[in-house]
Amino acid sequence: MPWPTTRRVIGTRVQRLDGNEKATGRAKYSFDINRPRMLHARILRSPHAHATIKTLDTAAAEKVAGFRAFYLIKKAGAEVFFAGDEIIAVAADTEEHADDCLRAIRVEYNVLAHQVKEADSLRSTTNTTGGAGVTNVNAGGDFTTDNFENAFAGTAATVQADYGVGVISHQCLESHGLVAEWDDKQENLTVWASTQAVPNTAEGLRVHFKMKPGEVKCITNYMGGGFGSKFGPDIQGIAAAELARTTRQAVKLMLDRAEEVTVGGIRPSAFGNVKIGGTKEGRIQAFEVDCYGTGGVSRGATVSFAILPYVYGPAVPNIKRLHRVVRTNIQTARAMRAPNHPQNSILTELAIDDLAARLNVNPMTMRLANLPPDDVAEAKTNPRGYIAQRGSIYRAEIAIIRKMCNWDRDWHVPGAQKGTIKSGMGMALHTWGGGGRGPNPTRVTINANGTVLAQSSSQDLGTAQRTLMAIIIADVLGLQPTDITVTLGDSSFGPSTPSGGSTTAPGTSPAILKAAETARDAFLTALAGRLNVQRNQLSIAPGVVVNAANNQRIPFRDACSQLGVPNVQANADWPTTKELQNSAPLREEWTTRLTNQGVGGVQIAEVKVDTETGIVTCSKFWAVQDCGLIINKLACESQVAGGVIMGLNYALYEECIFDRVTGRQVNADMEFYKLAGIADMPPIQVHMHDMPERGVIGIGEPPTIATAAAVGNAIFNAIGVRVPIAPFTPERVLAALANRRAGNP
Amino acid sequence: MKNFTYFRPTTPEQAVTLLEARWGNTEMLAGGTDLLSLQKQYVAQPGRVVSLNGIAGLQTVVVGERSATLGAGVTLARIADHADLRRLFPALTAAAGDIGGPQIRNMGTLGGNLCQRNRCWYFRDEHSPCLLRGGQRCSAIEGENKYHAIFTANHRCVLASPSTLATGLIALGASAEILGPQNRRRTVELAKFFFAPTGPTEREHTLAANELMTSVTIPVRGLTNAAYEVRQRQSSDWPIVQVAVAFSGGRNGEKATGVKIVLSHVAPTPVIAEAAARAVDNRIITDATATAAGRAAVEGAKPLTQNGYKVRLVEVAVKRALMIAAGLPRYWEA
Repeated sequence: MPWPTTRRVIGTRVQRLDGNEKATGRAKYSFDINRPRMLHARILRSPHAHATIKTLDTAAAEKVAGFRAFYLIKKAGAEVFFAGDEIIAVAADTEEHADDCLRAIRVEYNVLAHQVKEADSLRSTTNTTGGAGVTNVNAGGDFTTDNFENAFAGTAATVQADYGVGVISHQCLESHGLVAEWDDKQENLTVWASTQAVPNTAEGLRVHFKMKPGEVKCITNYMGGGFGSKFGPDIQGIAAAELARTTRQAVKLMLDRAEEVTVGGIRPSAFGNVKIGGTKEGRIQAFEVDCYGTGGVSRGATVSFAILPYVYGPAVPNIKRLHRVVRTNIQTARAMRAPNHPQNSILTELAIDDLAARLNVNPMTMRLANLPPDDVAEAKTNPRGYIAQRGSIYRAEIAIIRKMCNWDRDWHVPGAQKGTIKSGMGMALHTWGGGGRGPNPTRVTINANGTVLAQSSSQDLGTAQRTLMAIIIADVLGLQPTDITVTLGDSSFGPSTPSGGSTTAPGTSPAILKAAETARDAFLTALAGRLNVQRNQLSIAPGVVVNAANNQRIPFRDACSQLGVPNVQANADWPTTKELQNSAPLREEWTTRLTNQGVGGVQIAEVKVDTETGIVTCSKFWAVQDCGLIINKLACESQVAGGVIMGLNYALYEECIFDRVTGRQVNADMEFYKLAGIADMPPIQVHMHDMPERGVIGIGEPPTIATAAAVGNAIFNAIGVRVPIAPFTPERVLAALANRRAGNP
Repeated sequence: MKNFTYFRPTTPEQAVTLLEARWGNTEMLAGGTDLLSLQKQYVAQPGRVVSLNGIAGLQTVVVGERSATLGAGVTLARIADHADLRRLFPALTAAAGDIGGPQIRNMGTLGGNLCQRNRCWYFRDEHSPCLLRGGQRCSAIEGENKYHAIFTANHRCVLASPSTLATGLIALGASAEILGPQNRRRTVELAKFFFAPTGPTEREHTLAANELMTSVTIPVRGLTNAAYEVRQRQSSDWPIVQVAVAFSGGRNGEKATGVKIVLSHVAPTPVIAEAAARAVDNRIITDATATAAGRAAVEGAKPLTQNGYKVRLVEVAVKRALMIAAGLPRYWEA
């Protein structure tokens, strides 16, 4: 394999190189950047969910103390489609002055009809969200396998029920925004942005200002969460840069918490009526779903339509699915950690457990009976990919988690426990792509003073990308990760791929490896010349260069000092798309050995439900996750735990709540937009299922997908009654229990 | 936040002279855990802020044989940790220890907790209609009301009274000492302190705008007492409902007498649940009598469109508070 077969640092648990900076507050996030003479900008937003701007009068605002400049985003006559839609930005001496200016702007609106509840909007007879279409409802997909009419005939049991989950927000801890500063001649722009795509953000601004390549620089040294919502400058970034140009001063524009919640991005909702039937052994014979959801004003799908039922689809012979996209007057959906997969998971996994209960089949047995089979055809082209071995991967992972959580001992029949507090266990599976691509040019420099510098323009979202670079290079050069100086997050270095879709580790790792190996070879070649030995007599061992000619072990730093040149440097990158297309060996090496795509993953939750109050506590959690070759085991475990934490919030707490009449979100905060604190977190036990032969695969999204469904199934197992809609809040749990007492199914 | 003039008096009398006869233009600042967020949301827009943090006398705690007196400026953290208060008034100290998170408890004060504004999300959104901000309607009645009042009869505004110290203090028979203009001092039972506001000139209590709460006095009568709150998150969250109970006896097979049961987060003011108290008064507290008290506590409840579940939670919280006070097994902590 093209990865080192003996891995000294790769695959071990390495602490983040910037952990101390972050823990002590020395790390400067974009929000922390303050430039000389910097101004502060704020944005006036529509308070209405749907309106046209009749008049816009800024005269009074221009007289407010501290006022510097406006940047008009929407003119009089323009239509706004959600509460929070941007109208005009203002720069002032301080944030408070900027607020005063905003409040002095007079806007008259012609308020129009709106829809903020998807169930209402589904029945809407008019279009309140703009663009083509008579109503707010758009077709999202319609698919039926052949001969579906008799699909449910002969099933041992059939369940039909509603399931779903509401809209949630990304709630990035560091809000969206940037600091913009032009040079004296107004020819070059530098921004310090909170972004998952450093070069993309620079490019977005370059295109907006019609500048030449290289004239916009984006810097992101530290980043406080994006989850799919931060891929470009956004309107607030453009506004800040425009205001900086007008005022010839640096401008900071970061969203406040209410703005972060109302315009920073949402995960769409999904509600579906599911009918599922199976054999007495637990094999799913037919799956039918009629679902809808809203991604706000977006027309995008709210489920991953083609893979519904989720995970098990390839094993289900009869499938019928219908999806409708219901537009509403709320912000546009943005990609959010495994877009649409958690919704698929809820619509699929909850129904499977309800069928399992009806069939009297253990949910784990049920899942084993419906695993997607290893794909024989795929095995010919990519034998190490997920599709070629998905059934085997899940089977192995289920065997591991089964022991970890003691399923055979602790799982019980749904509702079997006595007492007020009932505990239960539930499981769910997931999958994600996570393949990498270029360009991700990487440079490794070995200096005569013994230091090693690694450079790329990629970004570290808090996922330990810096540390990943250092690990790979340290492994190749016989060093420790702390010996490597990493600089990233600066677009002037060159291109890099955005950190979305779990692509950063697979996208960057092979280029880092190649750059490190090339630098090592150049280093040993140069050294051989200086030592008057053959190149092949020199090799790297931990901390030293070994000279086979005289059995000398030269400490790395000493060897560097004998280079005779200031440094040796190597650059490496992915082959181009065309090169990959034209060369089967290159394709095989880069996309099936150095990296690959597709992962499985199994999660199990244990919950305790207070059946008098409806309060659910997640008491234990287990996760088994594969991601091919593990670079940093600690960071992988941390990613999985983080994904689980996010999923637990999705399961129990998070929900954007909109008022039907005002069209406004009532919980645009962190008070009633609930997120778990440490006291609400269970012990999370993570097992990384290492498959090094597969190459590097991303791990960002998968571990958050199955969590909410696993919790939902654990609640069902605890109380023996289905709570169909997430988040599984006390009122919903109590309603489900009351419904059962009333004798309803 | 609107600019304001900041005052920092050093005596209660000085503070009172800085106040105005009407609410709105002058606000008192103690821990700031409520006022500052109201100002940032432009719900409060005072031109003058009077800090109470320079007044030394407001931070004292004196526990005597017949009563305990707590300065209005005593922090929630100090109440929660105070050994004598914990021994005498667990209904108060447990509630204090449950409020928010450590940051809130280290800043928030007793007086601030009793006088805080309500948490209605329409009240706190300047763009939503709200009677208390001069609007023509209450948005919560037909809107999003899962956290609002369930005792709504005769209430045009359905806010849920947020103070969780009020319940214990009322149950224990506490009073507040209040200083007004011209050095006028008055004492008001906390049972009569709270008020259901319906307009912008009113607050959730009967303190006049030019009055300062200086301390709270709790009689020491050896009452058995406890509090229980139903909260969704263990970390920093508001209770959905909260209950405090106090009575004489009531432990080790002895009957409970003089029972007081007080509810919060269920009505625009704390609710003294008299029917619930009668249901258990002069009886031995058992699972059954506590359950009966819980049922009686929700008599007259008229929940809104989305908060019927709170009726059930009140029943449960009353039962559990009584059982905690009586020293019965906490069956829900399995």
